Amino acid sequence: MRKLVYTTFVAFWAATGMLLALHLLSPNHNPAVVPEVVGSAIEPAGETAGAVPGPAHFTLQEIARHDRLEDCWMAIEGSVFNLTDYIPRHPTRPELLESWCGTDATAGMRTKGNDSDHSPRAWRMLERYRIGDLVAGESAG
Amino acid sequence: MIRRHPGQFALWLAVVVVSIVVLASIRGPDLLGVSGMLDFLGRASAIVGLVMLLLAAALSARLPGFDRWFGGLTSLWRTHHLLGAGSLLLLMTHPLLLALAAADDGVGSAMARIFPALSDWPVWSGWAALVLMMIFLAPSFHFFGRPDYQRWKWLHRLAGPAVLLGLIHTYQYGRTLAPAIESALWTLLGLLALAALVWHFALSRRFGRRRYAVERVIMVANNLVELVLEPIGRRQLQYRAGQFVYLTPFDEMLSAGHAEEHPYTLSSSPLEDRLRIAIKDLGDASRAIQTIRPGSKVTVEGPYGNFFPDDAPPRQLWIAGGIGITPFLGRARHLALLVQPVDVHLIYCVQDEARARFLDEFQQIAVRLEGFQVTPHFFYRQGPLDHAFIDAHCADTAERAVFICGPGPLNQLARKLALGAGVGRADIHTEDFELV
Repeated sequence: MRKLVYTTFVAFWAATGMLLALHLLSPNHNPAVVPEVVGSAIEPAGETAGAVPGPAHFTLQEIARHDRLEDCWMAIEGSVFNLTDYIPRHPTRPELLESWCGTDATAGMRTKGNDSDHSPRAWRMLERYRIGDLVAGESAG
Repeated sequence: MIRRHPGQFALWLAVVVVSIVVLASIRGPDLLGVSGMLDFLGRASAIVGLVMLLLAAALSARLPGFDRWFGGLTSLWRTHHLLGAGSLLLLMTHPLLLALAAADDGVGSAMARIFPALSDWPVWSGWAALVLMMIFLAPSFHFFGRPDYQRWKWLHRLAGPAVLLGLIHTYQYGRTLAPAIESALWTLLGLLALAALVWHFALSRRFGRRRYAVERVIMVANNLVELVLEPIGRRQLQYRAGQFVYLTPFDEMLSAGHAEEHPYTLSSSPLEDRLRIAIKDLGDASRAIQTIRPGSKVTVEGPYGNFFPDDAPPRQLWIAGGIGITPFLGRARHLALLVQPVDVHLIYCVQDEARARFLDEFQQIAVRLEGFQVTPHFFYRQGPLDHAFIDAHCADTAERAVFICGPGPLNQLARKLALGAGVGRADIHTEDFELV
Protein backbone atom coordinates (compact mmCIF):
# COMPACT_ATOMS: atom_id res chain seq x y z
CA MET A 1 0.00 0.00 0.00
CA ARG A 2 2.82 2.38 0.93
CA LYS A 3 4.56 1.77 -2.39
CA LEU A 4 1.37 2.32 -4.38
CA VAL A 5 0.55 5.59 -2.63
CA TYR A 6 4.11 6.86 -2.90
CA THR A 7 4.37 5.90 -6.58
CA THR A 8 1.11 7.68 -7.35
CA PHE A 9 2.28 10.71 -5.37
CA VAL A 10 5.45 10.91 -7.49
CA ALA A 11 3.51 10.25 -10.70
CA PHE A 12 1.02 12.97 -9.79
CA TRP A 13 3.67 15.66 -9.47
CA ALA A 14 5.50 14.35 -12.53
CA ALA A 15 2.32 14.65 -14.59
CA THR A 16 1.43 18.06 -13.18
CA GLY A 17 4.99 19.28 -13.73
CA MET A 18 4.99 17.98 -17.28
CA LEU A 19 1.70 19.74 -17.99
CA LEU A 20 3.08 22.97 -16.60
CA ALA A 21 6.28 22.64 -18.65
CA LEU A 22 4.36 21.93 -21.87
CA HIS A 23 2.16 24.90 -21.18
CA LEU A 24 5.07 27.27 -20.55
CA LEU A 25 6.94 26.02 -23.61
CA SER A 26 3.98 26.24 -25.96
CA PRO A 27 4.31 29.36 -28.16
CA ASN A 28 0.96 30.89 -27.29
CA HIS A 29 0.78 30.18 -23.60
CA ASN A 30 -0.08 33.79 -22.85
CA PRO A 31 -2.68 34.92 -25.33
CA ALA A 32 -2.69 38.65 -25.45
CA VAL A 33 -6.26 39.71 -25.89
CA VAL A 34 -9.79 38.48 -26.00
CA PRO A 35 -10.57 37.68 -29.60
CA GLU A 36 -13.22 39.58 -31.44
CA VAL A 37 -16.47 37.84 -30.87
CA VAL A 38 -18.78 39.99 -32.90
CA GLY A 39 -19.35 40.03 -36.61
CA SER A 40 -20.21 37.25 -38.98
CA ALA A 41 -16.66 36.66 -40.19
CA ILE A 42 -16.27 33.79 -37.79
CA GLU A 43 -17.73 30.66 -39.25
CA PRO A 44 -19.91 28.67 -36.91
CA ALA A 45 -17.91 25.74 -35.63
CA GLY A 46 -18.14 22.93 -33.13
CA GLU A 47 -20.64 20.17 -32.53
CA THR A 48 -23.75 22.25 -32.22
CA ALA A 49 -23.19 24.60 -35.09
CA GLY A 50 -23.38 21.90 -37.71
CA ALA A 51 -27.15 21.95 -37.64
CA VAL A 52 -27.34 25.59 -38.56
CA PRO A 53 -26.39 26.45 -42.13
CA GLY A 54 -24.36 29.67 -42.05
CA PRO A 55 -24.74 32.57 -39.63
CA ALA A 56 -28.29 32.83 -38.47
CA HIS A 57 -30.06 35.64 -36.67
CA PHE A 58 -32.06 35.33 -33.50
CA THR A 59 -34.05 37.72 -31.37
CA LEU A 60 -34.14 37.73 -27.58
CA GLN A 61 -37.69 36.38 -27.79
CA GLU A 62 -36.46 33.34 -29.67
CA ILE A 63 -33.58 32.84 -27.33
CA ALA A 64 -35.95 33.04 -24.38
CA ARG A 65 -37.57 29.81 -25.53
CA HIS A 66 -34.32 27.96 -24.75
CA ASP A 67 -34.21 28.74 -21.06
CA ARG A 68 -33.59 25.31 -19.52
CA LEU A 69 -30.41 23.41 -18.76
CA GLU A 70 -31.49 20.74 -21.23
CA ASP A 71 -31.92 23.38 -23.91
CA CYS A 72 -29.85 26.39 -23.07
CA TRP A 73 -29.15 29.28 -25.44
CA MET A 74 -27.49 32.50 -24.40
CA ALA A 75 -26.81 35.82 -26.10
CA ILE A 76 -23.35 37.13 -25.30
CA GLU A 77 -21.84 40.31 -26.75
CA GLY A 78 -24.22 40.24 -29.69
CA SER A 79 -23.73 36.60 -30.62
CA VAL A 80 -25.94 33.63 -29.84
CA PHE A 81 -24.64 30.40 -28.36
CA ASN A 82 -26.23 27.01 -27.80
CA LEU A 83 -24.49 25.93 -24.60
CA THR A 84 -26.58 22.85 -23.85
CA ASP A 85 -23.72 20.43 -24.46
CA TYR A 86 -21.21 22.52 -22.59
CA ILE A 87 -23.22 22.87 -19.35
CA PRO A 88 -22.08 19.53 -17.86
CA ARG A 89 -18.45 20.54 -18.37
CA HIS A 90 -18.71 24.01 -16.93
CA PRO A 91 -16.94 23.97 -13.56
CA THR A 92 -19.77 25.30 -11.45
CA ARG A 93 -23.13 24.01 -10.38
CA PRO A 94 -25.51 23.95 -13.37
CA GLU A 95 -28.10 25.85 -11.31
CA LEU A 96 -25.86 28.91 -11.39
CA LEU A 97 -26.01 28.87 -15.18
CA GLU A 98 -29.68 28.04 -15.44
CA SER A 99 -30.82 31.59 -14.68
CA TRP A 100 -28.74 32.80 -17.63
CA CYS A 101 -30.24 30.33 -20.09
CA GLY A 102 -32.57 32.06 -22.52
CA THR A 103 -31.22 35.53 -21.75
CA ASP A 104 -28.51 38.00 -22.69
CA ALA A 105 -25.75 36.61 -20.51
CA THR A 106 -23.04 39.14 -21.36
CA ALA A 107 -22.96 40.36 -17.78
CA GLY A 108 -22.61 36.82 -16.46
CA MET A 109 -19.78 36.09 -18.88
CA ARG A 110 -18.01 39.34 -18.05
CA THR A 111 -18.41 39.30 -14.26
CA LYS A 112 -18.87 35.65 -13.16
CA GLY A 113 -20.90 37.15 -10.35
CA ASN A 114 -17.78 38.45 -8.64
CA ASP A 115 -16.57 41.13 -11.05
CA SER A 116 -13.99 38.94 -12.72
CA ASP A 117 -14.04 38.29 -16.42
CA HIS A 118 -13.77 34.80 -17.89
CA SER A 119 -10.33 33.89 -19.16
CA PRO A 120 -9.31 34.50 -22.80
CA ARG A 121 -9.34 30.77 -23.21
CA ALA A 122 -12.91 30.53 -21.99
CA TRP A 123 -13.88 33.20 -24.53
CA ARG A 124 -12.19 31.20 -27.28
CA MET A 125 -13.89 28.02 -26.15
CA LEU A 126 -17.24 29.81 -26.21
CA GLU A 127 -16.83 30.32 -29.96
CA ARG A 128 -17.32 26.61 -30.51
CA TYR A 129 -20.91 26.89 -29.42
CA ARG A 130 -21.81 29.90 -31.52
CA ILE A 131 -24.93 29.42 -33.65
CA GLY A 132 -25.64 32.93 -34.89
CA ASP A 133 -26.05 36.62 -34.19
CA LEU A 134 -28.42 38.53 -31.99
CA VAL A 135 -30.75 40.91 -33.72
CA ALA A 136 -33.30 43.28 -32.30
CA GLY A 137 -37.05 43.06 -32.78
CA GLU A 138 -39.22 40.32 -34.26
CA SER A 139 -38.01 36.94 -35.42
CA ALA A 140 -35.59 36.91 -38.30
CA GLY A 141 -33.97 33.50 -37.86
CA MET B 1 -18.09 -10.11 8.52
CA ILE B 2 -21.61 -8.72 9.01
CA ARG B 3 -21.88 -10.49 12.34
CA ARG B 4 -18.35 -10.04 13.61
CA HIS B 5 -17.57 -6.58 12.30
CA PRO B 6 -20.85 -4.84 11.45
CA GLY B 7 -19.08 -1.47 11.48
CA GLN B 8 -16.62 -2.54 8.78
CA PHE B 9 -19.43 -3.95 6.71
CA ALA B 10 -21.58 -0.80 6.95
CA LEU B 11 -18.65 1.44 6.14
CA TRP B 12 -17.50 -0.36 2.99
CA LEU B 13 -21.12 -0.76 1.95
CA ALA B 14 -21.48 3.04 2.17
CA VAL B 15 -18.44 3.50 -0.09
CA VAL B 16 -19.81 0.99 -2.63
CA VAL B 17 -23.30 2.52 -2.59
CA VAL B 18 -21.93 6.03 -3.13
CA SER B 19 -19.74 4.76 -5.99
CA ILE B 20 -22.73 3.10 -7.65
CA VAL B 21 -24.92 6.20 -7.22
CA VAL B 22 -22.15 8.35 -8.72
CA LEU B 23 -21.63 6.02 -11.69
CA ALA B 24 -25.40 5.84 -12.22
CA SER B 25 -25.60 9.61 -12.40
CA ILE B 26 -23.68 9.78 -15.66
CA ARG B 27 -25.63 11.88 -18.15
CA GLY B 28 -25.94 11.92 -21.92
CA PRO B 29 -23.37 14.64 -22.64
CA ASP B 30 -20.79 12.84 -20.43
CA LEU B 31 -20.90 9.92 -22.84
CA LEU B 32 -20.53 11.94 -26.03
CA GLY B 33 -16.77 11.67 -26.30
CA VAL B 34 -13.52 10.86 -24.55
CA SER B 35 -13.40 14.35 -23.14
CA GLY B 36 -16.84 14.07 -21.58
CA MET B 37 -16.00 10.67 -20.10
CA LEU B 38 -12.75 11.92 -18.59
CA ASP B 39 -14.53 14.91 -17.15
CA PHE B 40 -17.15 12.68 -15.57
CA LEU B 41 -14.54 10.26 -14.19
CA GLY B 42 -12.60 13.21 -12.78
CA ARG B 43 -15.67 14.36 -10.89
CA ALA B 44 -16.60 10.80 -9.84
CA SER B 45 -13.13 10.17 -8.41
CA ALA B 46 -13.45 13.36 -6.36
CA ILE B 47 -16.80 12.37 -4.89
CA VAL B 48 -15.73 8.87 -3.88
CA GLY B 49 -12.35 10.18 -2.68
CA LEU B 50 -13.95 12.83 -0.50
CA VAL B 51 -16.45 10.31 0.90
CA MET B 52 -13.53 8.07 1.88
CA LEU B 53 -11.69 11.01 3.45
CA LEU B 54 -14.73 12.01 5.49
CA LEU B 55 -15.32 8.43 6.62
CA ALA B 56 -11.66 8.13 7.61
CA ALA B 57 -12.03 11.35 9.60
CA ALA B 58 -15.21 10.06 11.24
CA LEU B 59 -13.39 6.89 12.31
CA SER B 60 -10.64 8.93 13.96
CA ALA B 61 -12.99 9.86 16.81
CA ARG B 62 -11.59 6.89 18.76
CA LEU B 63 -14.73 6.67 20.88
CA PRO B 64 -14.24 3.96 23.52
CA GLY B 65 -16.53 1.01 22.81
CA PHE B 66 -17.17 2.12 19.24
CA ASP B 67 -14.17 0.13 17.99
CA ARG B 68 -15.85 -3.15 18.96
CA TRP B 69 -18.06 -2.83 15.89
CA PHE B 70 -14.91 -2.81 13.80
CA GLY B 71 -13.17 -5.74 15.46
CA GLY B 72 -11.08 -3.63 17.83
CA LEU B 73 -9.12 -0.42 17.52
CA THR B 74 -6.18 -1.93 15.60
CA SER B 75 -8.54 -3.21 12.98
CA LEU B 76 -10.36 0.13 12.95
CA TRP B 77 -7.05 1.95 12.42
CA ARG B 78 -6.23 -0.36 9.56
CA THR B 79 -9.54 0.56 7.92
CA HIS B 80 -8.88 4.25 8.60
CA HIS B 81 -5.47 3.84 6.93
CA LEU B 82 -6.97 2.09 3.88
CA LEU B 83 -9.64 4.78 3.53
CA GLY B 84 -6.94 7.45 3.73
CA ALA B 85 -4.89 5.72 1.03
CA GLY B 86 -7.90 5.25 -1.25
CA SER B 87 -8.95 8.83 -0.71
CA LEU B 88 -5.53 10.28 -1.54
CA LEU B 89 -5.21 8.08 -4.66
CA LEU B 90 -8.62 9.14 -5.97
CA LEU B 91 -8.19 12.80 -5.12
CA MET B 92 -4.82 12.91 -6.90
CA THR B 93 -6.38 11.51 -10.05
CA HIS B 94 -9.23 14.06 -9.84
CA PRO B 95 -7.36 17.18 -11.14
CA LEU B 96 -5.37 15.12 -13.64
CA LEU B 97 -8.53 13.67 -15.20
CA LEU B 98 -10.14 17.11 -15.36
CA ALA B 99 -7.03 18.51 -17.01
CA LEU B 100 -7.03 15.68 -19.56
CA ALA B 101 -10.73 16.28 -20.21
CA ALA B 102 -9.99 19.90 -21.10
CA ALA B 103 -6.92 18.99 -23.17
CA ASP B 104 -8.95 18.52 -26.36
CA ASP B 105 -8.64 22.27 -26.61
CA GLY B 106 -4.87 22.26 -26.08
CA VAL B 107 -2.44 22.10 -23.19
CA GLY B 108 -3.32 25.66 -22.24
CA SER B 109 -6.92 24.68 -21.65
CA ALA B 110 -5.85 21.76 -19.52
CA MET B 111 -3.69 24.09 -17.46
CA ALA B 112 -6.42 26.69 -17.17
CA ARG B 113 -8.83 24.03 -15.97
CA ILE B 114 -6.76 23.07 -12.94
CA PHE B 115 -4.76 26.29 -12.43
CA PRO B 116 -7.29 29.03 -13.10
CA ALA B 117 -7.05 32.71 -12.17
CA LEU B 118 -6.58 33.38 -8.48
CA SER B 119 -10.08 34.80 -8.30
CA ASP B 120 -11.43 31.28 -8.84
CA TRP B 121 -10.79 30.62 -5.17
CA PRO B 122 -12.87 27.42 -4.88
CA VAL B 123 -10.40 25.67 -7.20
CA TRP B 124 -7.56 26.86 -5.01
CA SER B 125 -9.31 25.68 -1.88
CA GLY B 126 -9.41 22.26 -3.54
CA TRP B 127 -5.70 22.50 -4.22
CA ALA B 128 -5.00 23.58 -0.65
CA ALA B 129 -6.97 20.58 0.62
CA LEU B 130 -5.04 18.20 -1.63
CA VAL B 131 -1.63 19.59 -0.71
CA LEU B 132 -2.53 19.47 3.01
CA MET B 133 -3.54 15.84 2.54
CA MET B 134 -0.19 15.07 0.97
CA ILE B 135 1.55 16.70 3.91
CA PHE B 136 -0.40 15.01 6.66
CA LEU B 137 -0.46 11.63 4.92
CA ALA B 138 3.22 11.65 3.92
CA PRO B 139 4.35 10.17 7.27
CA SER B 140 1.49 7.64 7.30
CA PHE B 141 2.78 6.12 4.08
CA HIS B 142 6.46 6.58 4.94
CA PHE B 143 7.07 8.96 2.01
CA PHE B 144 10.26 10.16 3.63
CA GLY B 145 11.23 7.17 5.77
CA ARG B 146 9.89 6.01 9.08
CA PRO B 147 8.16 8.94 10.78
CA ASP B 148 8.64 10.30 14.24
CA TYR B 149 5.52 9.34 16.18
CA GLN B 150 4.82 12.78 17.65
CA ARG B 151 5.51 14.69 14.43
CA TRP B 152 3.24 12.28 12.61
CA LYS B 153 0.46 12.88 15.15
CA TRP B 154 0.97 16.62 14.97
CA LEU B 155 0.89 16.68 11.15
CA HIS B 156 -2.24 14.57 11.20
CA ARG B 157 -4.07 17.53 12.74
CA LEU B 158 -3.93 19.14 9.29
CA ALA B 159 -6.71 16.67 8.45
CA GLY B 160 -9.16 19.16 9.99
CA PRO B 161 -8.39 22.08 7.63
CA ALA B 162 -8.04 19.67 4.70
CA VAL B 163 -11.53 18.30 5.28
CA LEU B 164 -12.97 21.82 5.59
CA LEU B 165 -11.27 23.10 2.44
CA GLY B 166 -12.32 19.98 0.53
CA LEU B 167 -15.92 20.48 1.56
CA ILE B 168 -15.86 24.16 0.56
CA HIS B 169 -14.46 23.18 -2.85
CA THR B 170 -17.16 20.54 -3.30
CA TYR B 171 -20.02 22.79 -2.18
CA GLN B 172 -19.03 25.24 -4.91
CA TYR B 173 -18.56 22.76 -7.71
CA GLY B 174 -20.68 19.71 -6.93
CA ARG B 175 -22.75 19.11 -10.04
CA THR B 176 -22.60 15.40 -10.68
CA LEU B 177 -25.27 14.09 -8.33
CA ALA B 178 -28.79 15.46 -7.96
CA PRO B 179 -28.53 18.62 -5.81
CA ALA B 180 -30.62 17.13 -2.99
CA ILE B 181 -28.48 13.99 -2.81
CA GLU B 182 -25.29 15.97 -3.06
CA SER B 183 -26.11 18.40 -0.27
CA ALA B 184 -27.48 15.62 1.96
CA LEU B 185 -24.33 13.55 1.41
CA TRP B 186 -21.87 16.33 2.20
CA THR B 187 -23.88 17.73 5.09
CA LEU B 188 -24.24 14.33 6.74
CA LEU B 189 -20.67 13.12 6.22
CA GLY B 190 -19.22 16.59 6.83
CA LEU B 191 -20.96 16.90 10.20
CA LEU B 192 -19.95 13.35 11.12
CA ALA B 193 -16.30 14.03 10.28
CA LEU B 194 -16.32 17.40 11.99
CA ALA B 195 -17.92 15.98 15.12
CA ALA B 196 -15.28 13.24 15.19
CA LEU B 197 -12.42 15.70 14.77
CA VAL B 198 -13.82 18.04 17.44
CA TRP B 199 -14.22 15.12 19.85
CA HIS B 200 -10.78 13.71 19.11
CA PHE B 201 -8.78 16.93 19.23
CA ALA B 202 -10.75 18.98 21.75
CA LEU B 203 -13.39 17.23 23.84
CA SER B 204 -11.80 13.83 24.49
CA ARG B 205 -9.05 15.46 26.56
CA ARG B 206 -11.63 16.80 28.96
CA PHE B 207 -14.36 14.20 28.89
CA GLY B 208 -12.72 11.02 27.65
CA ARG B 209 -9.72 10.79 29.94
CA ARG B 210 -9.60 9.33 33.45
CA ARG B 211 -7.07 10.66 35.91
CA TYR B 212 -4.75 8.37 37.81
CA ALA B 213 -1.60 8.67 39.89
CA VAL B 214 1.38 6.33 39.64
CA GLU B 215 1.33 4.39 42.91
CA ARG B 216 4.21 2.03 42.23
CA VAL B 217 6.64 1.25 39.43
CA ILE B 218 7.55 -2.44 39.46
CA MET B 219 10.77 -3.24 37.62
CA VAL B 220 9.96 -6.57 35.98
CA ALA B 221 13.21 -6.57 34.01
CA ASN B 222 15.79 -4.04 32.92
CA ASN B 223 13.62 -3.05 29.96
CA LEU B 224 10.16 -3.74 31.32
CA VAL B 225 8.13 -2.08 34.05
CA GLU B 226 4.65 -2.54 35.34
CA LEU B 227 2.95 0.67 36.44
CA VAL B 228 0.39 0.41 39.21
CA LEU B 229 -2.08 3.27 38.90
CA GLU B 230 -4.34 4.57 41.61
CA PRO B 231 -7.52 6.35 40.54
CA ILE B 232 -7.92 10.03 41.33
CA GLY B 233 -11.53 11.02 41.74
CA ARG B 234 -14.55 8.84 41.24
CA ARG B 235 -14.48 8.29 37.49
CA GLN B 236 -12.62 5.04 37.00
CA LEU B 237 -11.98 3.16 33.83
CA GLN B 238 -14.46 0.37 33.10
CA TYR B 239 -12.78 -2.26 30.98
CA ARG B 240 -12.50 -5.91 30.08
CA ALA B 241 -9.34 -7.92 30.64
CA GLY B 242 -6.92 -7.70 27.72
CA GLN B 243 -8.02 -4.29 26.44
CA PHE B 244 -5.66 -1.36 25.95
CA VAL B 245 -5.64 2.36 26.66
CA TYR B 246 -3.90 5.53 25.57
CA LEU B 247 -1.74 6.61 28.49
CA THR B 248 -0.48 10.17 28.90
CA PRO B 249 2.14 10.65 31.61
CA PHE B 250 2.68 14.03 33.25
CA ASP B 251 6.20 14.02 34.63
CA GLU B 252 8.44 16.79 33.40
CA MET B 253 11.52 14.84 34.43
CA LEU B 254 10.84 12.30 31.69
CA SER B 255 13.42 12.50 28.91
CA ALA B 256 10.68 11.88 26.36
CA GLY B 257 6.94 11.47 26.19
CA HIS B 258 5.87 14.01 28.81
CA ALA B 259 2.20 14.88 28.13
CA GLU B 260 2.21 12.64 25.02
CA GLU B 261 -0.27 9.82 24.62
CA HIS B 262 0.80 6.31 23.66
CA PRO B 263 -1.14 3.05 23.50
CA TYR B 264 -0.40 0.36 26.10
CA THR B 265 -2.15 -2.85 27.10
CA LEU B 266 -3.77 -3.19 30.51
CA SER B 267 -2.25 -6.08 32.45
CA SER B 268 -4.61 -5.99 35.41
CA SER B 269 -7.96 -7.63 35.98
CA PRO B 270 -11.01 -5.35 36.06
CA LEU B 271 -11.70 -6.89 39.47
CA GLU B 272 -8.59 -5.21 40.92
CA ASP B 273 -8.94 -1.77 42.48
CA ARG B 274 -5.76 -0.58 40.76
CA LEU B 275 -4.97 -0.32 37.07
CA ARG B 276 -1.79 -2.09 35.95
CA ILE B 277 0.03 -1.48 32.69
CA ALA B 278 3.10 -3.43 31.61
CA ILE B 279 5.39 -1.33 29.40
CA LYS B 280 8.40 -2.61 27.50
CA ASP B 281 11.10 -0.27 26.28
CA LEU B 282 10.34 -0.17 22.54
CA GLY B 283 10.96 3.49 21.70
CA ASP B 284 11.83 6.89 23.15
CA ALA B 285 8.63 7.38 25.12
CA SER B 286 8.30 3.81 26.37
CA ARG B 287 11.99 3.88 27.36
CA ALA B 288 11.59 7.13 29.25
CA ILE B 289 8.47 6.00 31.08
CA GLN B 290 10.50 3.22 32.74
CA THR B 291 11.82 5.98 34.99
CA ILE B 292 8.51 7.71 35.77
CA ARG B 293 8.36 8.78 39.40
CA PRO B 294 5.74 7.38 41.77
CA GLY B 295 3.23 10.11 42.54
CA SER B 296 3.25 11.39 38.94
CA LYS B 297 -0.13 12.07 37.42
CA VAL B 298 -1.25 10.26 34.28
CA THR B 299 -4.42 10.19 32.24
CA VAL B 300 -5.90 7.12 30.67
CA GLU B 301 -8.24 7.12 27.67
CA GLY B 302 -10.12 4.03 26.61
CA PRO B 303 -10.65 1.19 26.84
CA TYR B 304 -10.08 -0.06 23.32
CA GLY B 305 -9.72 -3.42 21.63
CA ASN B 306 -11.91 -6.46 21.38
CA PHE B 307 -9.28 -9.19 21.61
CA PHE B 308 -11.42 -11.41 23.85
CA PRO B 309 -15.00 -11.06 22.57
CA ASP B 310 -17.71 -11.82 25.11
CA ASP B 311 -19.08 -14.64 23.01
CA ALA B 312 -15.76 -16.47 22.52
CA PRO B 313 -15.90 -20.25 23.09
CA PRO B 314 -14.55 -21.27 26.53
CA ARG B 315 -12.00 -23.79 25.16
CA GLN B 316 -9.08 -21.65 24.12
CA LEU B 317 -5.49 -21.81 22.94
CA TRP B 318 -3.46 -18.68 23.56
CA ILE B 319 -0.26 -18.06 21.61
CA ALA B 320 1.82 -15.16 22.88
CA GLY B 321 5.12 -13.80 21.57
CA GLY B 322 7.39 -11.53 23.61
CA ILE B 323 5.66 -8.47 24.99
CA GLY B 324 2.48 -9.73 23.28
CA ILE B 325 2.01 -11.57 26.56
CA THR B 326 0.43 -8.52 28.23
CA PRO B 327 -3.24 -8.98 27.19
CA PHE B 328 -2.96 -12.64 28.24
CA LEU B 329 -1.50 -11.53 31.55
CA GLY B 330 -4.52 -9.34 32.25
CA ARG B 331 -6.86 -12.10 31.12
CA ALA B 332 -5.12 -14.82 33.20
CA ARG B 333 -5.12 -12.62 36.29
CA HIS B 334 -8.80 -12.03 35.75
CA LEU B 335 -9.59 -15.74 35.36
CA ALA B 336 -7.56 -16.46 38.50
CA LEU B 337 -9.62 -13.93 40.46
CA LEU B 338 -12.89 -15.38 39.16
CA VAL B 339 -11.81 -18.79 40.55
CA GLN B 340 -13.90 -20.80 38.10
CA PRO B 341 -12.56 -23.79 36.18
CA VAL B 342 -11.40 -22.88 32.68
CA ASP B 343 -10.06 -24.71 29.63
CA VAL B 344 -7.19 -22.56 28.46
CA HIS B 345 -3.75 -23.50 27.15
CA LEU B 346 -1.13 -20.79 26.81
CA ILE B 347 1.92 -21.27 24.57
CA TYR B 348 4.34 -18.50 25.43
CA CYS B 349 6.99 -17.99 22.72
CA VAL B 350 10.18 -16.22 23.71
CA GLN B 351 13.82 -16.25 22.67
CA ASP B 352 15.16 -17.76 25.91
CA GLU B 353 14.42 -18.23 29.60
CA ALA B 354 15.71 -14.78 30.54
CA ARG B 355 13.09 -13.14 28.33
CA ALA B 356 10.14 -15.17 29.60
CA ARG B 357 8.70 -12.28 31.61
CA PHE B 358 5.84 -13.11 33.96
CA LEU B 359 6.27 -16.86 33.26
CA ASP B 360 6.51 -17.51 37.02
CA GLU B 361 3.20 -15.79 37.58
CA PHE B 362 1.50 -17.78 34.79
CA GLN B 363 2.88 -21.00 36.28
CA GLN B 364 1.53 -20.03 39.70
CA ILE B 365 -1.86 -19.33 38.18
CA ALA B 366 -1.71 -22.72 36.43
CA VAL B 367 -1.19 -24.39 39.80
CA ARG B 368 -4.13 -22.59 41.41
CA LEU B 369 -6.58 -22.44 38.53
CA GLU B 370 -8.14 -25.66 37.32
CA GLY B 371 -7.91 -26.14 33.54
CA PHE B 372 -5.25 -23.46 32.94
CA GLN B 373 -2.00 -24.68 31.41
CA VAL B 374 1.08 -22.82 30.30
CA THR B 375 3.84 -24.09 28.00
CA PRO B 376 6.88 -21.93 27.26
CA HIS B 377 8.46 -22.21 23.80
CA PHE B 378 12.08 -21.14 23.53
CA PHE B 379 13.20 -20.14 20.07
CA TYR B 380 16.90 -20.66 20.74
CA ARG B 381 16.25 -24.30 21.63
CA GLN B 382 13.18 -25.27 19.68
CA GLY B 383 13.36 -23.06 16.59
CA PRO B 384 10.25 -21.48 15.16
CA LEU B 385 6.90 -22.62 16.51
CA ASP B 386 5.57 -25.57 14.49
CA HIS B 387 2.75 -28.11 14.24
CA ALA B 388 4.68 -30.78 16.09
CA PHE B 389 5.21 -28.52 19.11
CA ILE B 390 1.58 -27.44 19.25
CA ASP B 391 0.33 -31.03 18.79
CA ALA B 392 2.63 -32.33 21.49
CA HIS B 393 1.32 -29.86 24.05
CA CYS B 394 -2.21 -29.13 22.93
CA ALA B 395 -3.56 -32.07 20.96
CA ASP B 396 -7.11 -30.74 20.61
CA THR B 397 -6.21 -27.42 18.96
CA ALA B 398 -8.84 -27.93 16.23
CA GLU B 399 -11.57 -27.73 18.85
CA ARG B 400 -10.32 -24.52 20.42
CA ALA B 401 -10.66 -20.83 19.69
CA VAL B 402 -7.15 -19.47 19.12
CA PHE B 403 -5.94 -16.11 20.42
CA ILE B 404 -2.64 -14.79 19.06
CA CYS B 405 -0.70 -11.72 20.14
CA GLY B 406 2.91 -11.01 19.33
CA PRO B 407 5.18 -9.49 16.72
CA GLY B 408 3.89 -9.55 13.11
CA PRO B 409 5.87 -12.57 11.86
CA LEU B 410 4.83 -14.70 14.84
CA ASN B 411 1.20 -13.65 14.38
CA GLN B 412 1.32 -14.78 10.75
CA LEU B 413 3.05 -18.05 11.58
CA ALA B 414 0.69 -18.87 14.45
CA ARG B 415 -2.30 -18.05 12.31
CA LYS B 416 -1.06 -20.36 9.58
CA LEU B 417 -0.47 -23.14 12.09
CA ALA B 418 -3.94 -22.69 13.59
CA LEU B 419 -5.56 -22.80 10.15
CA GLY B 420 -3.47 -25.88 9.31
CA ALA B 421 -4.63 -27.54 12.51
CA GLY B 422 -8.23 -27.15 11.37
CA VAL B 423 -9.29 -24.10 13.38
CA GLY B 424 -11.94 -22.04 11.55
CA ARG B 425 -11.10 -18.47 10.53
CA ALA B 426 -13.87 -17.11 12.74
CA ASP B 427 -12.22 -18.78 15.74
CA ILE B 428 -8.81 -17.18 15.23
CA HIS B 429 -8.35 -13.86 17.03
CA THR B 430 -5.20 -11.82 16.58
CA GLU B 431 -4.01 -8.57 18.07
CA ASP B 432 -0.89 -6.79 16.94
CA PHE B 433 1.00 -3.86 18.31
CA GLU B 434 1.68 -2.04 15.09
CA LEU B 435 -0.86 0.77 15.00
CA VAL B 436 -0.18 1.47 11.30
